[in-house]
Amino acid sequence: MASFILRTAEPKDVSDILRLIKELAKFEEMEEKVVLTEKDLLEDGFGDHPFYHCLVAEVPNEKSSEGYTVVGFAMYYFTYDPWIGKLLYLEDFFIMQEFRGLGIGSKVLKVLSETAVKTRCSAMHFIVAENNTKSIEFYKRRGAADLSSEEGWRLFAIEKKNLLKMSAK
Amino acid sequence: MFFLQELAEYENVAEHVKLTQKDLEQNGFTNNPFFHVIIAEVPEQHRTKEGQRKIGFALYFYSYSSFVGRAIYMEDLYVMPEFRGKGVGKALMSKVAQLGLAAGCHQLDFTVLNRNKPSMDFYFSQGCFDVTATIGYHCMRCKGEALKWGCAPNDM
Repeated sequence: MASFILRTAEPKDVSDILRLIKELAKFEEMEEKVVLTEKDLLEDGFGDHPFYHCLVAEVPNEKSSEGYTVVGFAMYYFTYDPWIGKLLYLEDFFIMQEFRGLGIGSKVLKVLSETAVKTRCSAMHFIVAENNTKSIEFYKRRGAADLSSEEGWRLFAIEKKNLLKMSAK
Repeated sequence: MFFLQELAEYENVAEHVKLTQKDLEQNGFTNNPFFHVIIAEVPEQHRTKEGQRKIGFALYFYSYSSFVGRAIYMEDLYVMPEFRGKGVGKALMSKVAQLGLAAGCHQLDFTVLNRNKPSMDFYFSQGCFDVTATIGYHCMRCKGEALKWGCAPNDM
């Protein structure tokens, strides 16, 4: 049984964070969409006004089969709901396959929920792919509500080239 | 606060608005605000019969995508009914896009209710796409008791 620690990410973790972002994207069959670089992660997460916060899970006494000690992460930031106030938004949450089932994921969620409560957030939001039924069940068992199914909310996005067109109008 | 109630009524969810004016002041107008707002205002001669000159708003904040990095999230966009169809919504959204691009953002995200057909049509015309329909992402929420993960039952 691996012993693990959870800690706040430091600048030295950016290459592991990017590696894990890509692993999660690969799992969602969208690896080619990750254009973020280590430099972006460094500037955006460790400057004066960070755009995100990160928790990493580390197994100091052993390594993954490729030799890594950082085996999981959660990336989050604070958002705002005009009806209920501050929220914690969980952007990415991933534990490497060989380290699942050891309670690392549950511990990460516990720490995140403590952070949310400490910072007076009213709720935690996140998105899940609808074909990821295992994860949806995991979250629903813990009381999460699927706002897209239950309330009809659809997530929309507008990409940079259309943003440029829109801002010029 | 007035706008938030009006928008909530349009979406038929008015009883869900729990925020107070004090919350908005504390969270939006101190150091490190949690949100930003752009207000659309009309000149004196076009004010409403109740004397309102502020007739629309967009509330947004900065977010982060693990795919592309800096992003901007438009939480609310609202124009009072009598001022619609005049390009106010487009102008508000364009301003949010401008501010996002200036801050180095690569995309703008927001949610729309599936029964809000006029808004969905407007957004499609601006080049937006429905992430829920095309990629299958569902928006999830944990609140109240569900936020306390420490009490989670064992799975397996």
